[in-house]
Amino acid sequence: MTTPTTPRSTGTRATRVIGIAAIVMSAWLTLFGLVLSPADVAQGDAVRIMYVHVPSVWLAYLAFIVTAICSVWVLVARGRVPGVDRVAGASAEIGVVFMAVTLVSGMLWGRITWGVYWQWDARLTTTALLFITYIGYLAVRGLDGSPEQRARRSAVVGVVAVAEIPLVHWSVRLWRSLHQEATVLDTDLDVDIDGLMLFTLFVGVIAFTLWFVWFVLHRARVMALAALVEERSLDEALAERAAEVPAGGQN
Amino acid sequence: MPDLTPRPADPTPSRRRRRIGPILVLVAVVGFGGWVLTNLRTAVDYYCNVDEVGVRDGCDADRRLRLQGTVAEGSVVASTTRTEFDIEFDGVSVAVRYAGEPGGIFNECIPVVVHGVFDSDTELFLGDRVEVKHSDEYVSVNDERLTAAEESACSPSA
Repeated sequence: MTTPTTPRSTGTRATRVIGIAAIVMSAWLTLFGLVLSPADVAQGDAVRIMYVHVPSVWLAYLAFIVTAICSVWVLVARGRVPGVDRVAGASAEIGVVFMAVTLVSGMLWGRITWGVYWQWDARLTTTALLFITYIGYLAVRGLDGSPEQRARRSAVVGVVAVAEIPLVHWSVRLWRSLHQEATVLDTDLDVDIDGLMLFTLFVGVIAFTLWFVWFVLHRARVMALAALVEERSLDEALAERAAEVPAGGQN
Repeated sequence: MPDLTPRPADPTPSRRRRRIGPILVLVAVVGFGGWVLTNLRTAVDYYCNVDEVGVRDGCDADRRLRLQGTVAEGSVVASTTRTEFDIEFDGVSVAVRYAGEPGGIFNECIPVVVHGVFDSDTELFLGDRVEVKHSDEYVSVNDERLTAAEESACSPSA
């Protein structure tokens, strides 16, 4: 029996370039976010939390959208695209991490500006719901079944769950919320933000996007290696079992 | 030897029935979402504006409220045990007595949400929690527009 060659690393030249670019952009974000960008007239230095909070929630949305697109692909291919399924899972995992960063940074920002860490208003509640939904998605991925069954089952959840994103984004328009309305992703195109603050936000989005791509590539490759190990373990177990059977006899 | 001949497959639901199931689920989800958006509006809204007390459904003066308005300029009087100030919205003003010192970036001309009840005798709004509702505008402390922003800071917003 031939076994495929195991790669010695999940890194490639491309991921190394992306990783270095992510580190450089993160350094730029730190410089602009903590030093060069100005304080806000109402919030003071607390506004600097925005440079982590906003990019992290945008990247969480992007991650969940990537999961949904891959999930549609998996459903169309009836679960026979393990590589795409792994990207869906990896993207959801990274999205959950970004969403956790969003919630924690938002709570810290809220404590400084609103005076409270948390309130059950429309935006905060729907965001928490989105976070829990994708934890549920990851739990569904871990359920028993063949790889195809697991891929199809989680793909259904991945497609349905993404519908929550518009609800979260528009919650501050649909209902009255303690959370402010969108400043940049606003439909009236009236971007009320200082130029250097907006640029710093842009740097943050680039840095977080590079991290997202880097993490998803590595995580998907780790998943592929785990699947390979599982397959080899099964082959080895079968070989061991076959060796226990006496030659020419029945077990 | 156990019988290893393939068993007949379980009868699968008809194609029509398989199509109807997801469609019914989708209709139910969309219908429920529409019902939530239209009927639970006042229940999900986080606050009542000052001018809606006794006017809007769910904003009755005899119940516990979350009241939103802009802190009136020059109205803040702080003592060791309480803070008094007026909040206003769309030309209507309410006097607030808060037992403590408001947190966050509380200041004059900033929108706040006060949790509390009306005192039926004094018509004071007795607050036990104040949350600052900052706007979606971000202005640099060094910005030339600062003066203009300060001038318009007390304009109430929704």
